[in-house]
Amino acid sequence: MSTEALAPFEVRSSLDHCIKCTVCESSCPVAAVTPLFPGPKTVGPQAERFRAGDHSPDLSVDYCSGCGICTRVCPQGVRIAEINSRARAEMKVERGIPMRDQILARPGYMGKAGRPVAPLFNWALANPVVRLLGERIVGVHRKAPVPLAASRSFSYWAGRRRRFLAPRRVVYFHGCSTQHFEPEVGKKVVAVLEHNGFQVLIPKQDCCGLPLQSNGIFGAARRYVERLATQLSVPGTEGLPVIASSTSCGLMLKKEALEILGVEDGHLAEISKRTYDLFEFLLELHERGELRTDFQPVPLTVAYHAPCQQQNQLIGKPALDLLRLVPALRLVEMDRLCCGIAGTYGTKREKYDIAMRVGEPLFADIKTASPDLVACDSETCRWQIAKATGVTAVHPLEVLYRAYGGS
Amino acid sequence: MWSTYPNDQVLPAKFWGCSGMRHDVVVIGAGLAGLTAGIRLAQEGLDVAMFATGHGALPLAPAVVDVLGYAPDRVESPRVALPSFVAQHPEHPYACLSMGVLAASLDWFKELVTPLGYTGSLERNLLLPTALGGLRPTLLAPETMAAGDLGGGGEVLIVGIASYRDFYPKLVAQNLTASAPADGRRIVARAVEVALAGDPRDLRPQLLSRRLEEPAVRSDLARSIRAELGSEAAVGIPAVLGLERSHEVWTDLQRWLERPVFEIPTIPPSLPGQRLQSLLTQLFRSFGGRLQIGNTVLGGQGANGVLESVTVAQASREISVSAGHFLLATGGVGTGGIVVDRKGIPREAVLGLPVTLAGSPSEVNPEYFGPQPVDRIGLAVDERLRPLGDDLGHLFSNLHAAGATLAGAEPWKEKSGHGISLATGFAAAAAILEERG
Amino acid sequence: MALSQIETDLLVIGGGSTGAGVAWDAALRGLHVTLVDRGDLATGTTGRFHGLLHSGGRYVVKDPSSARECASENLILRRVAADCIEDTGGLFVTTPVDDPAYADRFVEGCGAADIPVEEITVGAALAREPRLNPRISRAFVVPDASIDAWKTVWACVRGATARGAKVLPYHQVMSLTMTADAVTGAYLRDARSGEQLRVRARCTVNAAGAWSRRVAELAGCEVGVVPGKGIMIAMNHRVVNTVVNRCTMPGDGDIIVPIRTVSVIGTTDIPVSDPDHIDPTREEIAEMMEAGEALVPGFSQGRALRVWAGARPLFPKTTGKQVSDTREVTRSHSVLDHEALDGVGNFLTITGGKFTTFRLMAKDALDLAARKLDLSAECTTATVPLPDSESKRFYWIGARQEEMEHEAPDDPLICECELVSRGDLQAALARRSDWQLDDLRRALRIGMGPCQGGFCAFRVAATLHRDGQYDRLAANHALGAFVEERWKGVKLISWGDQLRQTRLDQWIFQGILDVEHLPK
Ligand SMILES: Cc1cc2nc3c(=O)[nH]c(=O)nc-3n(C[C@H](O)[C@H](O)[C@H](O)COP(=O)(O)OP(=O)(O)OC[C@H]3O[C@@H](n4cnc5c(N)ncnc54)[C@H](O)[C@@H]3O)c2cc1C
Repeated sequence: MSTEALAPFEVRSSLDHCIKCTVCESSCPVAAVTPLFPGPKTVGPQAERFRAGDHSPDLSVDYCSGCGICTRVCPQGVRIAEINSRARAEMKVERGIPMRDQILARPGYMGKAGRPVAPLFNWALANPVVRLLGERIVGVHRKAPVPLAASRSFSYWAGRRRRFLAPRRVVYFHGCSTQHFEPEVGKKVVAVLEHNGFQVLIPKQDCCGLPLQSNGIFGAARRYVERLATQLSVPGTEGLPVIASSTSCGLMLKKEALEILGVEDGHLAEISKRTYDLFEFLLELHERGELRTDFQPVPLTVAYHAPCQQQNQLIGKPALDLLRLVPALRLVEMDRLCCGIAGTYGTKREKYDIAMRVGEPLFADIKTASPDLVACDSETCRWQIAKATGVTAVHPLEVLYRAYGGS
Repeated sequence: MWSTYPNDQVLPAKFWGCSGMRHDVVVIGAGLAGLTAGIRLAQEGLDVAMFATGHGALPLAPAVVDVLGYAPDRVESPRVALPSFVAQHPEHPYACLSMGVLAASLDWFKELVTPLGYTGSLERNLLLPTALGGLRPTLLAPETMAAGDLGGGGEVLIVGIASYRDFYPKLVAQNLTASAPADGRRIVARAVEVALAGDPRDLRPQLLSRRLEEPAVRSDLARSIRAELGSEAAVGIPAVLGLERSHEVWTDLQRWLERPVFEIPTIPPSLPGQRLQSLLTQLFRSFGGRLQIGNTVLGGQGANGVLESVTVAQASREISVSAGHFLLATGGVGTGGIVVDRKGIPREAVLGLPVTLAGSPSEVNPEYFGPQPVDRIGLAVDERLRPLGDDLGHLFSNLHAAGATLAGAEPWKEKSGHGISLATGFAAAAAILEERG
Repeated sequence: MALSQIETDLLVIGGGSTGAGVAWDAALRGLHVTLVDRGDLATGTTGRFHGLLHSGGRYVVKDPSSARECASENLILRRVAADCIEDTGGLFVTTPVDDPAYADRFVEGCGAADIPVEEITVGAALAREPRLNPRISRAFVVPDASIDAWKTVWACVRGATARGAKVLPYHQVMSLTMTADAVTGAYLRDARSGEQLRVRARCTVNAAGAWSRRVAELAGCEVGVVPGKGIMIAMNHRVVNTVVNRCTMPGDGDIIVPIRTVSVIGTTDIPVSDPDHIDPTREEIAEMMEAGEALVPGFSQGRALRVWAGARPLFPKTTGKQVSDTREVTRSHSVLDHEALDGVGNFLTITGGKFTTFRLMAKDALDLAARKLDLSAECTTATVPLPDSESKRFYWIGARQEEMEHEAPDDPLICECELVSRGDLQAALARRSDWQLDDLRRALRIGMGPCQGGFCAFRVAATLHRDGQYDRLAANHALGAFVEERWKGVKLISWGDQLRQTRLDQWIFQGILDVEHLPK
């Protein structure tokens, strides 16, 4: 075993390690709440032995949310979630990809389309009648959390600010949600990195293709991620750490594009080795004694939920470790696996209820903790949690930003 | 407040993979042995990090704690049987422990997992029904199973749930009735199969257990059982009575049926095992332990008889994690702590430690249930549970091992698996604490 | 107690592909047939073969007449036995260890034997089979396919039974009854009950494959069949989806056949004296695992699921010579008329041949038997489809998964590896009342997947008990017997993943269920 990404046939062959032990089944958050999903083992290593040629025999694999918990808990090293993702893509190619998934898979379009008319667009998204129509016609559940478009993109802001020069430099991979929906997160990331003496390079960048991948649209996803790899390796950035504040997009670069999409792009393989989750990077700085800890008290109760895609990076919970250093902050670790949303999964009409049931234990724990804020590294999870609990959900970076004295 | 970082250094060329992460103890493996040791150490205030490729065997296991069930005849009292058993099996992990440590680990465990209400003692094995209707000796059982102790005989109703494929009450009842628990005692068991209204015909245990956490569903179940109930003194039911709310589910059923109810564990997955696993991991975290599931430990670096660090795989990199002490609790052949190659040669998977008691691979026993050459292979350890090298000296002064990775036992035949993991995990933690002074 | 008696036109000894084919052909010709086997159907060589419906390509250089037979039978079976066949197609590839000159002789031979062959580029071959050795130099497409032994035999038997045939599995022929110059029938012994049974037959066909020498001896006749042992290893999943052959003179471990959920590498060929003693050896296994590397790099790292051996019924047409290399013996078949050869009437032996040519073998045997029985009906097996093959649709690997998807979640899976549901099991139980667990394995594929019965054996035994087919002791016993049987094919490949599996299974049986201490 090593950390080299597996080739597609190796992902498939990893089914050989499956001894049917059921560990994945007992950890799957979806199979626990619906009979429609027979579980990761059944649709994964088990069904994979029946897949050959171009006709897909599958149906229920569509209910896999792609959270990746099965792969993480498998003691035998079976790439269950990756096998499932590939099977789901084949199935969708054969059965046709609904327009709804085509739209959800391209958040950039929504963001771009919404921005010039943001107030109107956002009003429409908040309007129950519009949402009901959206559910009927497009299949996006009327209650599903959807982000609101920002009136100015993050890159607009980044392009207009005074540059901060420093010998220590990093590349910032901000992702689509920062770009279109939550530019504030990106601004704070830049502030915190600069506060710690880093010059932050922000090359022009587009979508990593993750939503396309999770919706089974592999061809376009590959093109997207390859384009991104090129964008992130503009001359002058060789060897620099790439910092991702969107944890799922970070994982896409680190592993998923290589193992699920089977992208063989040399840039990408190289970038994957120097991609960091934001807090992973900050914690490592701290462990070297190089992080500024001039923290001010933040007298809040914050419930921290580590999202699946962050956990799948196998880096522990660095945000939790760092925020523990903040004075007066009461941190409550949510010991739950998944909030249910899994990217765009929980927004779909037929999956909304499932996703809500998956998230229920987390929502209940959050309500019990009655925090001022929920912190979570993944945007879609934040939207889901905020919508389900009514508690404001922020990127943990926002808490750190406050600790540094920001407001 | 915003200011430039004072230090103008350029980032080191290879920033990644050379993290300064350091812990008091690194535990490799998150099964019962690793969790036991991890919790013990964290309870004492140590900074413990636990890395595991995946979950250990707990979510599959019936969650009873076996200490010694057969030697090779059925053991009535482990306390009586153990001394001569250890004398006859000097290579057995129990030989590294005193009876006092074993007893202390059991007491500690019972107290630790109070919410699950474990009962039993070294004096006498319980005799709990299996999903085939055999009587299986074990030492500690959670509250939801304890009333299944049929050592004294009795009259029981065995209930099956039609949509659940892993439990067949008729076979259980007939085998139980044919069993002889003890001289002059008899078991009379009757079977019924009930259906849960409105459910699909295939209810996987994960779903089923959660359905039963809904009060309406379990009162329905209780009603169906009541309709079938005769003079039986207790009711046996497959071990699917909820996950987080098992205590509630079980107490409700007892109340409504007005007699003891006991769960009967069956083939994996195991809800009782999952309950125990989630309680133990919660406890570990609550004492400040760090648990990272999904991280394979690829190897280690050491010098002068001291293991300095281990290499841990992440999604796209390896990192090196150092610690004062290390505990190897990676399990045996089944979970991959020990791997056997095509030539039949076994190897300890993480550090490549020598494996002992490996008979010749050509000695495979044509009888499936007979003794197999790989049965007892594993690591040999000294009295402080430190793995021994080929020269019988310990390899690293700060490396310990516990659980199924140790040589010398046939846990599923002896019925000793969890006992070994618990006691050796506990003892390894004690050794580490002692070494730290 | 009076001995049970059966009167029949034709007694067929041996329930392999040949015997089943004879029974089907005879029933179609209007004969009353009795088919017997000492074990379950297809438990001789037929249940242990490689699974390849030959295009004939393998024999074009070495054994052209056999190649021609295979080629024409391949076409016929595709028409009449489609449900038993998966149309995988076949590739012959020249690997770096193969003599490059062979390829031209191969193409020439295919032409001569009427085998459609098409050379494709190495790139195209790799696109079709990504795990193939990228260092191959040439690649040819031929109409190889995989064929399911059990499905084929049962289809023949079902067709024959529907036309009045009597089928007696677990009935061994103990002796043949004879007049001075002819066989008149046989005494059978029911292996399960020990009861004896007498069959009177107008004509008797010995289709006992590698055992046909022994059966012929019961009538004092000599059949010079030489059992040729071959081992095969099933890998846990399909590493290829096309049959891949090395383009070379037939040798050891040079074919990988994707059949059902596994891919099978084979085989070897050595003469043995006793077809009942053909255990694979460690050396043969090691050789086979390594041989796979030439076709599929990394092959030997894969998970071996089972290993077994079969005994070819090889019949050297040039008699009298001592056979030292069974590879040199033709794969064609022979019908022996013991009246002409040994002066024993109403008795013939059909031997040699291949699974692929079973229909032709049956036809040739029946043509002779028909003459003896004064029957004018012609053979129709080339045009009448077997039961379930009427639609001419080939079997597809994904069929079970697709079916399961539509049944779930209302029909629980009993065997998860091979996707056998409770409904499938109960349907089988309704068909027959004397199932052994191991018969159900062959009928449904229960226990054939990665876990080798670890999870399903318990469910099946308990279901049989629940539904009243087994009493308590029978269920307890069946469970143990089933896993012991499975162990035979696993014990020699106990390493890596399969060893882990065995440990988990044993932990389930002993650790959780404590099967060893069930009440007697
Ligand atoms: C390793 C190997 C690989 C092969 N691969 C292929 C391949 O890929 N493609 C192909 O076309 N062919 C292949 N063959 C050849 C093919 O398997 C055989 O030619 C064919 O299966 C023989 O069938 P059969 O019915 O003649 O013999 P069998 O299947 O052996 O049937 C004979 C039956 O007679 C029964 N019997 C014996 N004695 C008695 C008795 N006294 N009373 C009652 N019954 C008795 C036996 O139990 C047995 O079931 C292979 C053979 C081997 C060994």
